[in-house]
Amino acid sequence: MNLYSTRSKNQGFIRIGLRTKLLILSSFLFTIPWFGYQYVWEMEKYLRYGQEQTIVGTARALATTLHDRPNLFDNQASFLASVEKGKDLYGFQIRQPIQLDGRYNDWPDFEGKAHFYEDSNIIWQEPNQTVSLRFNAAVGKYDKYLYLFFNVVDDKLVFRGNNARSIYLNDHLTLSLTAPDGEHQQYIVSNKNAGWIESFQLDNQTNRPQPINYIQGVWQPNNTGYNVELRLPLDYVGNKIGFSFADVDTPSSKATSLVGSANTSDPEQLGTILVPSPEIERIVKGMSYTQSSIWVIDKHQRVLASAGDINSASGVWRSTASTNANSGIWPTWWHWLQTNLLHPLYYKVLTKPTQDFYDQLYDESHLAGEHIEQALSGEVHSQWRLSTDKQAVILSAAYPIYIDEQVQGAVIVEETTNGIKTLRNKALEQLFTSILAILLVGTISFFFFASRISNRIRQLRNHAEVAIDEHGRVKEDLPALKGNDEIGDLSRSFSTAVSRLTQYNQYLENLSSRLSHELRTPIAVVRTSIENLSMYPIPENAKAYIERAESGVHRLNHIITSMTEATRVEQLLQRTEKQSFNAYEVIASCISGFKQIHPETTFNFQAPNQKANVLGSPEHFAQMLEKIVTNAVEFSCDAQVEIMLITVKKNLILTVKNNGELLPETMENRLFNSMVSLREEALVNSESSLQSSQPSSKSQPSPNSQPHLGLGLFIARLICEYHQGQISAQNCFDPNGVQINIEIPLTE
Amino acid sequence: MSKRIAIVEDDDAIRENYADVLRHQGYQVQSFANRQSAEAAFTVRLPNLVILDIGLHDEYDAGFELCQWLRAKSSTLPIIFLTARDNDVDTVSGLRIGADDYLTKDISLPHLTARIAALFRRQDAQNKPVEQENLIERGPLVIDSQKMTIKWHNQYVELTVTEFWMVFALAKSPGHVKNRQQLMQDSQIFVDDSTITSHIKRIRKKFSKIEANFNCIETVYGMGYRWNDADIVSLVGQSNAGA
Repeated sequence: MNLYSTRSKNQGFIRIGLRTKLLILSSFLFTIPWFGYQYVWEMEKYLRYGQEQTIVGTARALATTLHDRPNLFDNQASFLASVEKGKDLYGFQIRQPIQLDGRYNDWPDFEGKAHFYEDSNIIWQEPNQTVSLRFNAAVGKYDKYLYLFFNVVDDKLVFRGNNARSIYLNDHLTLSLTAPDGEHQQYIVSNKNAGWIESFQLDNQTNRPQPINYIQGVWQPNNTGYNVELRLPLDYVGNKIGFSFADVDTPSSKATSLVGSANTSDPEQLGTILVPSPEIERIVKGMSYTQSSIWVIDKHQRVLASAGDINSASGVWRSTASTNANSGIWPTWWHWLQTNLLHPLYYKVLTKPTQDFYDQLYDESHLAGEHIEQALSGEVHSQWRLSTDKQAVILSAAYPIYIDEQVQGAVIVEETTNGIKTLRNKALEQLFTSILAILLVGTISFFFFASRISNRIRQLRNHAEVAIDEHGRVKEDLPALKGNDEIGDLSRSFSTAVSRLTQYNQYLENLSSRLSHELRTPIAVVRTSIENLSMYPIPENAKAYIERAESGVHRLNHIITSMTEATRVEQLLQRTEKQSFNAYEVIASCISGFKQIHPETTFNFQAPNQKANVLGSPEHFAQMLEKIVTNAVEFSCDAQVEIMLITVKKNLILTVKNNGELLPETMENRLFNSMVSLREEALVNSESSLQSSQPSSKSQPSPNSQPHLGLGLFIARLICEYHQGQISAQNCFDPNGVQINIEIPLTE
Repeated sequence: MSKRIAIVEDDDAIRENYADVLRHQGYQVQSFANRQSAEAAFTVRLPNLVILDIGLHDEYDAGFELCQWLRAKSSTLPIIFLTARDNDVDTVSGLRIGADDYLTKDISLPHLTARIAALFRRQDAQNKPVEQENLIERGPLVIDSQKMTIKWHNQYVELTVTEFWMVFALAKSPGHVKNRQQLMQDSQIFVDDSTITSHIKRIRKKFSKIEANFNCIETVYGMGYRWNDADIVSLVGQSNAGA
C-alpha cells in the first residue's frame, strides 16, 4: 500500500530506470569512432603532406638531371620567346600506328588536337577573290615518322592535269621545314588524282621540283573538300615547319589564295615544330618506376616528354598499402565476415579509390595550371586538384628546369591520392572493426552490468516488500545479499534493520507474557497475604477493604491470564498436530453453544455447502470462532450476528457480520494486532464501577465486566494463520456494521 | 504425628505466607530459599511432601533439578510444583519428571491446602481397603475419590491431581457438557482456556495408552467437554456408521 503510493507519487515524471540511464551514459562510447575518424583524418593530412614532399622531391630529382643540358633542348623550339598558335606546332605522341588512308578516325582526338586554319591564316590571296579554303591540321609523331593530317574544306578540288608539267596549277600543299642540319627544305604535294600522294622536293637553288618518295601519304577527296594524310621521317625534320594550301578553282590556272601556318617560301617565317624529345623521354622513363605520372615541358608549356599513367600513379603509398592486404593470421570466417558484412557496411561511409577515373585536363601542346606557371617563373609549386570526372584527387608538383640560369622548362609530377586513400581506408577499416568490437563488448557488458545492478535492486525491493506485510508485521527475514558493494551493504543494512525490527516485534508480542510472568509473583504475594489476613479476626468495618483488595487481585489475575493466553495459544499451536476436520460441523456445533451462552443474541448461520474440510485443529478453530463471535456479539447493537460459510474454489470463506459501530479506517489493519482494543466502554464501566459502588445509569455493566486487552482478535489471527488462512475486517454498510472475513484453504 | 512439608521458594514473602498457612493447618513446615540448603536438609531427612518453585534465584531450572534429585531418592514422595511459569513446556516437563501436580501461583491458599490434603489422602489411601461408597463406576471407568485413582479397564491411569479432578468432574455427570469455567472450578485451578484444552488432550492421551480408540471425552465445540459412557459412544458410533 505504502510502496504503491510512493511509487505512484513519482509517476508525474518520466520514469527512467537505472538500465536506461546507464545505456544513455554508455552512449558516450559512440564518440570514440568520431575521435578515431578525426585521428585518421589527421593522419591522412600528414600523409598527404608527406606525399606532397615526396612528389616535389621526385620532380626535383628529375629536374636536377635535366638542369643545364641545353643539348636536350637544342633542336627544340624551346628557346623562342613566344609560340604562336597554328604556326608553332606540336607533334603529339601518337600511341598506336596510323594507317595512311585519308581518314582521321585512327587519330586520337583529332578534333581536339587539330588546329583550324581559316581567314586569319591567309598568307596571300588574289585581289577581289574570296577565299573558299579552310582546313584543319593535326601533327603527330609515331615511331620515327612525323604524321600530318589535313582536313581541307574546298568548294572546288582541282587535280593536276594529266599532262601538266607544272605542279603549281592545281590544289597543292606546300610543306616547308628546316632539316636537322638547319637547311631550309620545301616540299610540294601535288596530285594528279585521288590516292597515293605525289610529293616533290624543291631544289634550293633552282627551285625545280624533284619527285621524292620518302614523303608518303594519301590524298582523299570527300564531299566538302579533301583530306591529306602524310608522313615523313623524323630524320628530315628539324625544329621549324610551315605548311600552306594553295587553292586553285579553275584547272590549269594559278592559285587564287594561299592558306597555311606560315609563308612556306620564307624560312625565317616558319613556325616551330616541337616533337617530344626521345632523349628526355629516355631520362624520364628512368623515373617512371616511381608510381607517378611525369611530364617534362618546355617553357611554352608544351610536353617534351612524359612517362607513366596518371590512372595507375597512386604514389609510393600504394605499395605500402597493398603489401599487408592479405596477411594470413586471420581465420577464414573472419575474412568472410570482413568481406561480406563489415566492408559493405564500411564502404557505405568510405569511398573506394578508383583507377577508372578519367583525367584529361592537359592539352599536350599546352599544359596549363597554376603550378606550371609558378614553376616556369622559377617557383616550386604543388597543388591538389580533382580529376576531370571528379573521381580522384590528383596531386601535382612542378619543378623548374634551369639552363644557364634561365627557366627553360619544368618537370611536372602527378600522383593520385589513391595510395593514401587506400591506406586511410585500411586504417579506418581496422579502426571501425576495433570500435565495433569495443562498442559491442562495451555495450553488452554495460547492459549486463546495468541489468545485474537493477536486478539486484529489484530483488532487494521485492524482498523488502515481502518482508513486512500491510499490518506492519515482519513476515520473513530479509536475506542479506552477497556482494561486496553498496547494494550488498544496503541489503545487509536492510537485513539488519528488519531483523532488529523482528526482534523488537517479538519483544512487543512477548511483552504481555513476560509482564504476566513478572507480575504473577508480586500478585501472589498480595493475594496470599490477603488470604492469610482473612484467617485472622478482622474488624467488621475493615472486611469491605479486604473484599475490595481481593476483587482487585482477582481482576489483576484475570488480566494476567488473558495476557498469557496469546502466548499460550501460540505455543500450543506450534506443538499441535494438524488433522483434517469438517469446519462446517465445528461451526455448527459452536453456534449451538453460542446460542446457549448468548441467549439474547440471534445467530443467523448460512452455509450452502455442508462439507468444508480443513487441515488444522478443530479445538483451536472453535476457539477462533468463539473469539470472533464474542467480539461480534459485544459490538452488535441489534443482537443479531450473521455467520456465513461458503467455499470458493479451494478456499473456505467464513464471514461473521454484526450491525454496530463502524471501524475507524485506520483500525482495519491494526485490529488483529496484539493489545489493540476498541472497547472503551468496557474500560469506562469497569473504572466507574471501581470508583463508585453505584452503577452508572447510562450503561449497563456487561455480564463479564472484565477489562479487555485486545487479545481476542489477535488470538483469532494466530489461529487463522496456523490454518494458513487470512483474516481481515471491513466495514459493511446497509445496515452499518463490521464483518470479519476468514479465508482458509480447503483440503481434498 | 503431623506431616512435614518442605517449601522451596526464593520469594520470602510468598514462602512465608505459604508456610504460615500450612503451619496454621497443622503441618510442620520447613522452608528453603535455594536449592543447596534444601538439598542439604533433604539429604538428612526427607519431608512428607515438597512444594517446589522452578526458578530459584539465578538458577533457572533449579526446581526441576531438585525434583529429579528427589525422585531418585524416593518414588513415592509427593511433589508439587508451585510456580509463576505457566507455559505448556514447563508444565509438561514438570509432570514428566515425576511431579504429582503442577500449580501456578494463581492458586488460592485454600485450594493449595486442599491439594495438599488430597495428596496426603491419596498417599494414605493406598494402603487402605477400598470403600465402596467412594467408588464411582462408569462402564470400564472406576474412580476412587478416596485414593484419587482412576482405573480404565482395570488399569490405573496415571493422572495428576488436576487431571484427576477434571476427569472426576466430567465423569460424575456423564452426558452433561462441562464448560471450561466449570472444569476450572471443579478441578480447583485457575488457568486460561487453552490450558484446559491441553489438559484434556493429555488426559485423552493417557487413556489412549490403555485403549487406543478411547473417545469418551467429547469436545463440544464452543461449549466445553462431556463424558460419554463407553456403551453410549459405541451406540452413537454404530448409529453414525449406519447413517
